[in-house]
Amino acid sequence: MKSALKWDIVAKCSTTKARAAVLTLPHGPVNAPVFMPVGTQGTLKGITPDQLESTGCQIMLNNTYHLGLRPGQELLDACGGAHKFQSWNRNLLTDSGGFQMVSLLKLAEITEEGVQFESPHDGSLMLLTPEHSMSLQNSIGADIMMQLDDVVSSLTSGPRVEEAMWRSIRWLDRCIKAHKKPDTQNLFAIIQGGLDPELRKQCIEEMVKRDTPGIAIGGLSGGEEKDKFWRVVTLCTDLLPPGKPIYCMGVGYAEDLVVCVALGVDMFDCVFPTRTARFGNALTANGTLSLRQHKFKDDYRPIEEGCDCVTCKTYTRAYLYTVVTRETIGCHLISLHNTAYQLRLMRQVRDSVIEDRFPEFVRKFFKDLFVEKSAYPEWAVNALRSVNIDLMEDSP
Amino acid sequence: MPPLNFSIIRQSTQLSSARRGTLAITHAVSETAVVANTQTKSGFESTVRESKKRVIETPGCLMYTAKGSVPHLTPDTMRLQSFGGASVSIEHVLQDYQPAGFEKFPFNLATYLNLQDFILLCDIRDTSKFVKVPFNSDRYVSMVTHQGVRQLTLEDYLKCVRTYEPDVLASFSDFVSDLEPGQKRVRKSVDRSLKWLDQLLMERQGLDGLAQDREADMKKKENQKKNSGEASSAKEPKETTPAPAAVTPKPWKDVGVFAHVLGSHIEDERIRSATETAKRDVEGFIIDATSLAGSKDDVQKLIKTSLDNLPSNKPKVVYGMQAPEDVLKSIALGVDLFDTSYPFVLTEDGKASLFSFGPEDSADAKDERIVEPRWINLWDEEHADKFVPLMTGCECYSCKGGKHTRAYINHLLKTHEMLATVLLMSHNMYQYSRFFENVRKSIEQDTFDQYSQDFMARWGTEPERTGEIHPVAAMVEASLHKRNRLDDDASSIASGQQAPKGKGEKKERVFVNKKEKRLKKQQEKLEKQPSQ
Repeated sequence: MKSALKWDIVAKCSTTKARAAVLTLPHGPVNAPVFMPVGTQGTLKGITPDQLESTGCQIMLNNTYHLGLRPGQELLDACGGAHKFQSWNRNLLTDSGGFQMVSLLKLAEITEEGVQFESPHDGSLMLLTPEHSMSLQNSIGADIMMQLDDVVSSLTSGPRVEEAMWRSIRWLDRCIKAHKKPDTQNLFAIIQGGLDPELRKQCIEEMVKRDTPGIAIGGLSGGEEKDKFWRVVTLCTDLLPPGKPIYCMGVGYAEDLVVCVALGVDMFDCVFPTRTARFGNALTANGTLSLRQHKFKDDYRPIEEGCDCVTCKTYTRAYLYTVVTRETIGCHLISLHNTAYQLRLMRQVRDSVIEDRFPEFVRKFFKDLFVEKSAYPEWAVNALRSVNIDLMEDSP
Repeated sequence: MPPLNFSIIRQSTQLSSARRGTLAITHAVSETAVVANTQTKSGFESTVRESKKRVIETPGCLMYTAKGSVPHLTPDTMRLQSFGGASVSIEHVLQDYQPAGFEKFPFNLATYLNLQDFILLCDIRDTSKFVKVPFNSDRYVSMVTHQGVRQLTLEDYLKCVRTYEPDVLASFSDFVSDLEPGQKRVRKSVDRSLKWLDQLLMERQGLDGLAQDREADMKKKENQKKNSGEASSAKEPKETTPAPAAVTPKPWKDVGVFAHVLGSHIEDERIRSATETAKRDVEGFIIDATSLAGSKDDVQKLIKTSLDNLPSNKPKVVYGMQAPEDVLKSIALGVDLFDTSYPFVLTEDGKASLFSFGPEDSADAKDERIVEPRWINLWDEEHADKFVPLMTGCECYSCKGGKHTRAYINHLLKTHEMLATVLLMSHNMYQYSRFFENVRKSIEQDTFDQYSQDFMARWGTEPERTGEIHPVAAMVEASLHKRNRLDDDASSIASGQQAPKGKGEKKERVFVNKKEKRLKKQQEKLEKQPSQ
C-alpha cells in the first residue's frame, strides 16, 4: 500500500539486532530508536508544546478513542485536525482505541462489526468499527495511525486469542480499505497472537502481505511474565521485514527500552514517565527517586547531575519535595524532567549504536541502574544473552 | 545607604493621589537565573537572565506565589511575564523542621526558589486571602503551614531573615485574625506590632533586640519558682545568673523593611498605628485589607485613613484589593504595589480576563459600545467550537499568533488536563501586567482620572464570587469520580497497552482539595433534586 514515510537505517549494531534510523514523516524527521511521550487527550500533562519541543521530542501520541469523545470528530474537522487543535507542529501518532476494549472492558462489547463502548461521560453508546476508527484518525490527521485491532489481555489463553488474531487481520483489511489519506498518513498494522509463537508467526505472515508502511507489536505489556514478553518481541523482530519501522506498544521502563532496542525494536510509547511524575517519582540513571520521601528534605542537589532540563537547572530535590503532589507545578516540573530523561536515554542509545559501542552502553546502563549484578532482572540477562551481550561476564 | 530606593517619577496633578515611580535595589547585584533550555543545532543551550538591576515599576505588582512558585507556571513559562517582583509567604515555605534545619540550607531563598532576578518580598501570611488562625501572643504569631497551624516567634522570624536574605521583609506584626475584633484587641495588636518592629529594627542594625524578652522570661521563671514554693525548689545558688549573654547578632542592613500598619476597623487605632510606624526607620508600608470586613467603599476608607498618616515619599503595598476597579481606587489614594492573586483566582475559576485600561489599541473595538464582559468563563459550552484566541490581539503565551484557542482550553478543562490552568494563568497574568502598564502610562500623561472613570463605566465591578462551581465542571468531576478506577487505566493507557505501575503509586487522584469537598456537597444537593 501507499506510504507517507521514509525509513533510512543509519547504522546497525555489529553485536545485537539494534539499529539507528531516521524516520521521515509528514511533520519532520524522527530519530529512531525513539520513545514517544503520550498525550492522551491532546496535551502532555501540563507541559506546553514549546516545552515539549525543547526536550527534543519529535513525535508524540494522542488517543483516538478519547479525542473521538472529546472534542469529537466534528470539532476536529472544523479546526483542521489535532496538530492545529493542540498547536503541535511536529509528528503525531494516534492509537486506534483498540486497547480501550481491554481497559474499559466493562463498558465495551466486542463483535465482528466492531466495539460498542458506553461513554463514561454521559452513558451514550459509541460503536467503534475499523471504518469509524479510520474516519476518526483521518480527521485527527496524525502522521502515523494504528489499525483497530481486537485486543485481548496478554494473560488470556485459549481460543479467544486466536479469534482475536484472525479478527485483527480482517479488521486490518477493513482499515486499509477505509483509509482516506494514504498520501499524508501512514497506517501501521498491529501483530496480535498473545504469547503463542505459532499464532504470532501466522499473524505476521498475513499482515506483512498487506504491506503497511510500518508494523507494531501489540498485545504485550499487559502484566505477562517478562521472560515470555521478550521472547515474543524477538520472534517478531526476526520475522518482520527489515525495511520497515517496528513499534513495540506500551513499553516505557528504561531497562525494557534498552533490551527491546537490542532485540531490534525502533519505536516505543508509554504513559509511565508522565504518570509516575504525578506521584512525585523522578527517573534517573541510578533509579527512581520518590521525591515525596522525607529523606529529600535537606537534599540540595538537582534530581540528576548533568541533566539539561529546566527542572534540574533550577530546582533542588529539597524544593521539589515541598511541592510534589501539592502544587501543579510539582507535577509539571517532574513530568518535564522525566520526559527529558526518557528522550535523553534514547539519544544515548542511538548514539552508541551509531558509534557501534552499544554493548558497552548496555553494560554501563545496567550497572548504573542496578549496581549489583545479582540485582539484574533475569529476563533482561536472558534477553540480552540471546543477542550476544552477556551481562554476567566481567566487563573487558 | 538605604537598601531600597523608591523614587516618584511623577505625581498626578489631577484630583487623585496616584503616582508613578520605581522601586529599585540599591546594592549592586549580578545574579543569574536559568530561564529556559532551548534546543539548538549544536545541542542544548541554557538561556540565562542576568539581573544587574532589579526594578519594580509602580504602580505595579508583586507576583503572588504558592509554596514559592507562581501557581501553575514553571520558571521558563513564568519568565515570559514582565513583573519585577515576587512575594513569598513564610507559612508556605517554612518546613516543620526549620529553622533548625537552616544550617544545611546552602543558599538564600531567592536562589532556592530560582527568583534571583526579581525583587523578593517576604511576609508571614498568604497575601491573597483571609484565613482565620488561632490567636497570637506576646511571643508568637500563628500561621497556617501545610503541616497545620504553627506558632512563629520573632526569634524564628529573625533566623528566617538571616537565612532567606530577602530584598524586602514585612515586619513581624500581630495581625488580627478576626473580622470584628474588639477595641481592646485592636489596641493590643497595634502595641505589640510596634514593639516587635522596634526589636526587628534593632536586630537589623546588629543590636540585640531580644534582650528584653529574655530578661522578662527569666523573671517570669523566677517568680514561678518562688510561687511554687521554696520547699520543692532546692536552694540553688545560681539564682543570680544573668540572662545568657547574647552572641552579637549579625546585622542584615541590605534587607529593606516594609512595616505593616494596622488598626482594623477602628479609626483612632489606624491613625495611631500609621503615625507611630511612620516614625520608625522603615523603607515602606503594608496595609493588609484581606481581614477588613465591610463594603469595598468602607475598606477603601480605612485604607485612606492609614495612607493619610503615612509619609508620601515611601512606597505602600496593599493586600486584598485585587479586582481592577479596586486597584484603580487604591492607586488613586496613593497605593503603589499590589499582588497578582487576582489573575490566579480567575484562573482557578476557569476564567480569562478581557478588560483593558485606557483607549483600545484596535480601532474596531471602539466603534460600538458593545458591552463586553470583563472576563469569559472557559467552562461555558459556547466556547467549545470557538477556534479563536482568548482575547483578540493579545500577545500572551497562550494567545500570541492564535496559538491556543478558546475551544482547546475548553477541551482541556473538560478533560481535566493541567495545561488549561497553565494557559489561562499565562494569559491572565499577562493581561494584568498590561493593565498596570497602561495605568502607569496614564499617570505619566495625566489621563489616569479620566481613564479610571471610563474603566468603571465600561467594565463595571467584579461580581461577588459565590463559590458555586460551574455546572460543567461539576458534571466533569462527577463522572470522574464515578469512573475513577476505570479512567485511571483508560487515560493512562493511551497506547494500546497496559501501563506498568510505578512503585508506591496510589490509585487515588493526587490533587484532592477543598474544591472537591465543596463539589461533593453541591453534587449531593443536585442528586436530591428530582431529575427532569
